Amino acid sequence: MRGLARAAVCAYLALATLPLVWMALTAFKAKEDAISLRPRFLPATAAEADPDPERVTFPVTVSAFARLSEVHVGAVDSFWSHLGNSVLIGLGSTLLSVALGTLCAYGFSRFRIPGAKDWLFFILATRFLPPLVVVIPILVMYRALGLTGTHLGLVLLYTAFNLSLSVWLMKGFIDDIPRAFEEAARVDGYSRLQAFFRVILPQARTGMAVTAVFCLISAWNEYGFAITLNASGAITVPAYFAGLQGNLDGMPWPQVAAGALLFVAPIVLFTILVRRHLLRGITFGTVKQ
Amino acid sequence: MIGRQAGRAGWIQWGFVGPTLLFLLAFNVFPLAWSIVLSFRNAELVGDGGRFVGGANFARVFSDPQYAEALRLTARFVALAVGIELAAGFALALALRADFRGKGAVLTTLLVPMMLSPAVVGLYWNLILNGNYGILNQALGALGLPTPQWTTDRDWKFTSVLLVDLWMWTPFMLLIALAALHSIPPSLYEAAEIDRAGRFTVFRRITLPLAAPLLGLAALLRATDALKQFDLVMSITGPNDPQTQTLSTLLFQVVFRDGKVGLGASYACVVLVAVIALATLFTRYLERLRERPA
Repeated sequence: MRGLARAAVCAYLALATLPLVWMALTAFKAKEDAISLRPRFLPATAAEADPDPERVTFPVTVSAFARLSEVHVGAVDSFWSHLGNSVLIGLGSTLLSVALGTLCAYGFSRFRIPGAKDWLFFILATRFLPPLVVVIPILVMYRALGLTGTHLGLVLLYTAFNLSLSVWLMKGFIDDIPRAFEEAARVDGYSRLQAFFRVILPQARTGMAVTAVFCLISAWNEYGFAITLNASGAITVPAYFAGLQGNLDGMPWPQVAAGALLFVAPIVLFTILVRRHLLRGITFGTVKQ
Repeated sequence: MIGRQAGRAGWIQWGFVGPTLLFLLAFNVFPLAWSIVLSFRNAELVGDGGRFVGGANFARVFSDPQYAEALRLTARFVALAVGIELAAGFALALALRADFRGKGAVLTTLLVPMMLSPAVVGLYWNLILNGNYGILNQALGALGLPTPQWTTDRDWKFTSVLLVDLWMWTPFMLLIALAALHSIPPSLYEAAEIDRAGRFTVFRRITLPLAAPLLGLAALLRATDALKQFDLVMSITGPNDPQTQTLSTLLFQVVFRDGKVGLGASYACVVLVAVIALATLFTRYLERLRERPA
């Protein structure tokens, strides 16, 4: 039984990681090695290059990374400029959603608000809306306001869609901070706001960092709004990749792999950083480890 | 003095929660309300808001075989994805239950796929799934297994999207299932051992019922997400493919390719009913779960 379990875990570990390993290998290939009919999985130095078409080695090259600055057919700009859009929009919306979410969570955690439970479930329910359902009126609204194809437009929208996550996660973290801390501060003559800024915020630092990571990941990965609202300007990386899709056989696979690798690398890093809080993050703070 | 304090406190709480609620009203409630208005008009992507057409859009939605097909396909996708991911995730959680050296690292590695961008990952999977030079078929061929044209054969397209979804989201179920297993008090297993209960009885009487509430939560969360399926379909088979047309890609097609905003809005309203039903189910479920003594 134990042996079987171990074998199953090992098999799954291979299934889960091999596609990503293959992505990393592809990023260092030349195009003909990426789409060869025999799999070429062994990296070799360029000097040992083997002319045999049946070979399983490929010469390592970083040309795919170098060529990321080119503008491909079907794209508006180079990968780097789209990555810049993703960073700007991701960071902007993360800052805003964590700030608003923390304030809101504190309000619900420490004050008696009429209908608090209904409000909280309303906030959670907004998470379930499929982007494609609300995108139509948002498009009409953004056109009127001149927000389509702008960084600000997506920052505001991603903030709105991450607020449910941010409020629920932060409420979980703030509920864990003993009220005695603030009460002591109030006795010392701090006002409500001073107590919030000088006592609660420092205590909630971990929670805010974890919440920020989840908000950043969700904005970073978002695609539905990105291709519909920002098809013409401030195009993020997921929408940029979608634009390359036109001709799969003409696809510059090593560059796609290199770009995808650079794009997912920070997410892998963040996943490792918040590994202890992943469960909270994916269940909106309702399940704590 | 005391009265003033209470008055101030009554105002300050809205200062904390107000901005968030206003944001959600502006970006969720208002667009939804507008969607309902648009669904009664023949608005187009280019041009003005159109004119009032009554229930004509809804009449089209309900008589449209494309819509019925997308609804069926989405339902099938949600059922298969959630079902298989739940079963596989739970089985893996059982296998990963015992502690071993390096468990944390293994677990974190397994969880990576669910954190990645479905659109980017989906596009990259095209290379793996390619019928001629994809590594999957090269591996299957080496093992003497059939090598279908995953993304172009009409009989396999749906499976391809499902496969990538399984790859991405089984870890989600695994993580919650593992938490469910860890929440079961060991004393129950000790008592079962004293009673000489068989392995299967222990599983059926202790493990399964005690893990069930959290597994249900995981399934509901995943179902609401799978219902929106858009990114993977767009990046693997593209919109407007009858074999993989989900509700979201159909909406994309109607609004952004055909330019029929009013019609799209009424499609959206009908989708919304399903979403609200699931969301209500989820929040009710969560409420019950939270009120349960831990």
